[in-house]
Amino acid sequence: MSQAPSESQPHDPAVIREAVRERYARAAVRVEEASGGASGLRLPDPARDLPLVDLTPAAAGEDACCGPSGCGPAGGDAGCAPDQIGAVAAFYRQADTADLPASITDAALGCGDPTALAELERGETVLDLGSGGGIDCFLAAKLVGPEGRVIGVDMTDEMLALAARNRERVGAANVEFRKGQIEALPVEDASVDVVISNCVINLSTDKEAVLREAWRVLKPGGRFRVSDLVLTRALSREEARSMAEWTGCVAGALHRDAFAGALAAAGFADVRLRLGAAWRDGVHSAQISARKPG
Amino acid sequence: MHRDLMEILVCPVTKELLELVVEEEAGDEVLRGHLYSKAIDFRYPIEDGIPNLLPPEMQAADAAEGSDAGA
Repeated sequence: MSQAPSESQPHDPAVIREAVRERYARAAVRVEEASGGASGLRLPDPARDLPLVDLTPAAAGEDACCGPSGCGPAGGDAGCAPDQIGAVAAFYRQADTADLPASITDAALGCGDPTALAELERGETVLDLGSGGGIDCFLAAKLVGPEGRVIGVDMTDEMLALAARNRERVGAANVEFRKGQIEALPVEDASVDVVISNCVINLSTDKEAVLREAWRVLKPGGRFRVSDLVLTRALSREEARSMAEWTGCVAGALHRDAFAGALAAAGFADVRLRLGAAWRDGVHSAQISARKPG
Repeated sequence: MHRDLMEILVCPVTKELLELVVEEEAGDEVLRGHLYSKAIDFRYPIEDGIPNLLPPEMQAADAAEGSDAGA
């Protein structure tokens, strides 16, 4: 399924998608195993399921977001990369997450706390793009209350299975997970109050489609409240060509101006990007907010 | 999957509403069944309470690659 890489198109989108799915599947299985769950989840066999190819010799063996020096703010242990745990301590308010089991907090692979940004109100409908183990869904569920609802969309079976188990563990009846593509959302037009997402949009190979879909499903006046990595410089050739940098949330990240421009092009108003901690030089976590006019 | 979510669930391709066919349920929760898209004559499966609403060509690619983990 892979195409020969070229200068302009280092990776086929389908190859990237599979690499992302494999890596996050692995993270889900690891979390489930660590939590002692008899999940029946199968650890993907990389040889069969996905050749996770790193085409950059210089970066071989070093994961993008979690090299030996660690990653995340100031070399801390937080990160969007699933090979490490600690995003909760870095990004979430302790009071919000204190009552969540490890199988939720250990699977927090984001780069921010979108529910804190979202100003959620009781009764609202929230959609989480790339919901993973579900942490942001469960936090949102507490805020919107039983009369609100939260829908998590993810394409990784193992993450969906972990999220479903986590839902049982916390008894969040107002949270639903479904398998889907964030580029082709199975959600009705103008049905959602708030779209949230945490370090996932960078992983998409068609960000225009993601933003177009987010705009479509939002109600008029609906909010887009997202944490993601953004760039403040051009990627090096090595970074851009590295599959590990893709799955580690860097190679697919947009420049901050490009992200803001893409939101405006999709029809959003009140676009704001607030840069947070530097992941590395020129790569920052960011709080991104916008509004669908109406 | 809760029945009351049906109202905002649509086909990812046509964005039209889907027809729910329940094979197994517990209370308000649909555990197994499918969501039928009449316009493209496709059944989106519901397994273990989670509807698979990937576009049909991606489901075909999934099946071809045998990435059926989590079942």
